[in-house]
Amino acid sequence: MEKREITFKEAIREALQEEMKRDESVIIMGIDVGVWGNLYGFTRGFVDTFGRDRVMDTPISEAAIAGCGCGAAASGLRPVIEIMYIDFISIAMDQIINHGAKWHQLSGGKVKVPMVLITNGGVGLRNSSQHSQSFENWFVNVPGLVTVMPSSPYDAKGLLKASIRDDNPVIFIYPKGVLNDKMAVPVEDYLIPLGVADVKRAGSDVSIVATGWMVDHALSAAQELNREGIECEVIDPRTLYPLDEESIARSVHKTGRCMVVTEAPAAGGWSGEVASVVMEHCFVSLKKPVLRLAGIRTGIPYDKDLERQVVPGVKDIIKGVKSLLG
Amino acid sequence: MSTHRPQGHAMAKGASPRSIFCEMLGRMGGPSNGTSGPMQWVDADHNFFCGSIVGSGSCYANGFALSLKRQKKGHICACFFGDGASSTGASHEGMNLASVWKLPLLFVCENNQYGQATPMKNYCNVDRLSQRAAGYGIPGVSVDGMDVMAVAEVAAEAIERIRNGNGPCLIEAVTYRFKGHYIGDPLNYRTKEEVERWQKKDPLIQCRKNLVENWGYTDAQLKAVEEEIAQQIARDEAWALEQPKPTLEYAISNVMVPVAGRKA
Repeated sequence: MEKREITFKEAIREALQEEMKRDESVIIMGIDVGVWGNLYGFTRGFVDTFGRDRVMDTPISEAAIAGCGCGAAASGLRPVIEIMYIDFISIAMDQIINHGAKWHQLSGGKVKVPMVLITNGGVGLRNSSQHSQSFENWFVNVPGLVTVMPSSPYDAKGLLKASIRDDNPVIFIYPKGVLNDKMAVPVEDYLIPLGVADVKRAGSDVSIVATGWMVDHALSAAQELNREGIECEVIDPRTLYPLDEESIARSVHKTGRCMVVTEAPAAGGWSGEVASVVMEHCFVSLKKPVLRLAGIRTGIPYDKDLERQVVPGVKDIIKGVKSLLG
Repeated sequence: MSTHRPQGHAMAKGASPRSIFCEMLGRMGGPSNGTSGPMQWVDADHNFFCGSIVGSGSCYANGFALSLKRQKKGHICACFFGDGASSTGASHEGMNLASVWKLPLLFVCENNQYGQATPMKNYCNVDRLSQRAAGYGIPGVSVDGMDVMAVAEVAAEAIERIRNGNGPCLIEAVTYRFKGHYIGDPLNYRTKEEVERWQKKDPLIQCRKNLVENWGYTDAQLKAVEEEIAQQIARDEAWALEQPKPTLEYAISNVMVPVAGRKA
């Protein structure tokens, strides 16, 4: 398979472009997706290629954007709607959770809502407390929704394509911290199945379940720990719901020690969900309780260094692994 | 797109009384096979959605209207909401988006003059809700919602305008809610005299009078029709009461389209 190095941003752009070329019912709606080509250039040039009928700039109206996406999806289109920052999604929540997420069931399975809501979360660009949060747990909690979080360019492209082709409403959250990551990505069409985790690094001593930007940190930590003879297995769930419980359980049965790493704070977060799943499946194999390494429970500060300090870093992961082995 | 009180709209859109009874009574045979109940069923066979979050429909109606516009068959989407609902953010965002994108969307505000227990003057700073249309640059018209012919005329004009690609319209139909917001409502926010005054304007009473005075129908003829309908409705209700309730297994099914073979 021919591959070339592209950034995370370019991977998202390619996924959107390929799916829009492949299927005319795929349209994009959001604030400045047309004229700006999105904040990060995801849709740069798309208006010229696909026209304003398929790349639609909206007013600043998250409820209307999300609602329009749900309604369009329920009536034959496959909309990709953008909520610029996950922090704004609260304005759109009613449309997504009370309506879009429920129509398939309320129609006895007759209505499908194949909408992808793409949004960014997490720290990394000094966007401060109202533009840097992590709310994936909100969506994992809503029956009817799929929640996806890619960590790399390869995953982003394959997952976004799969999300667009999936017939459920999918919340696709990309982390700010990985936007400029570069990686070899296939030129050919490929999909990453939803609901399937990826073992990013095999190891026998500790299972690290990490999401988004934290996957990068976990891999860096694993590399450093390797020099000390400690082998970490790094698992990226990729889809947060439905969760690939089998892959995680298989890993923890092997290692007996598990750490969950998220930008999001622990209390009420998705990391607790994983810890519960591991407890349920792997109790007999666990040598220590599951360790949750999560963001500090605070508003995200503005400063470049402070914002990184309130979420887990490589040093925190190394320390956590050693505490699990001690 | 209908409201939390969707029964009349549902029938107008083609749902049978039997299916509506079934849904209201929580039985199989309703559009949601009894899992919704009165306020949020989805009748896919009749392109009919409703919901119990007032005002929300104005946003998701845009999506349906967008699909219809792209299909170029001249179809339109009608979105109903109440006067209380017109205060929500969704109501404003929805009308604004539809106006900018010139979507084939008819917004119908059924103004029964009370948002639950609050009279209109306490939550709205304009006399007529149709005035708000000007804020979105779309035509807005108020009509006596108790006058069937007047509403039909205004609606026909608006629908024609929308079908011709001129973008959305807002109709405010001024009416009254005879009963409470819910069964058990203490109704301590309005007087019996006010209710009686409006009951005299009941559209069924007015319509009946019109048919006799201006269309040549006799009282006996109309009584016969009313009796036939009453008997049919009674049969439909009895039939619905015999339908089974959904099982737990059914009620928890269809949450998601299967994802890579994983359970929902």
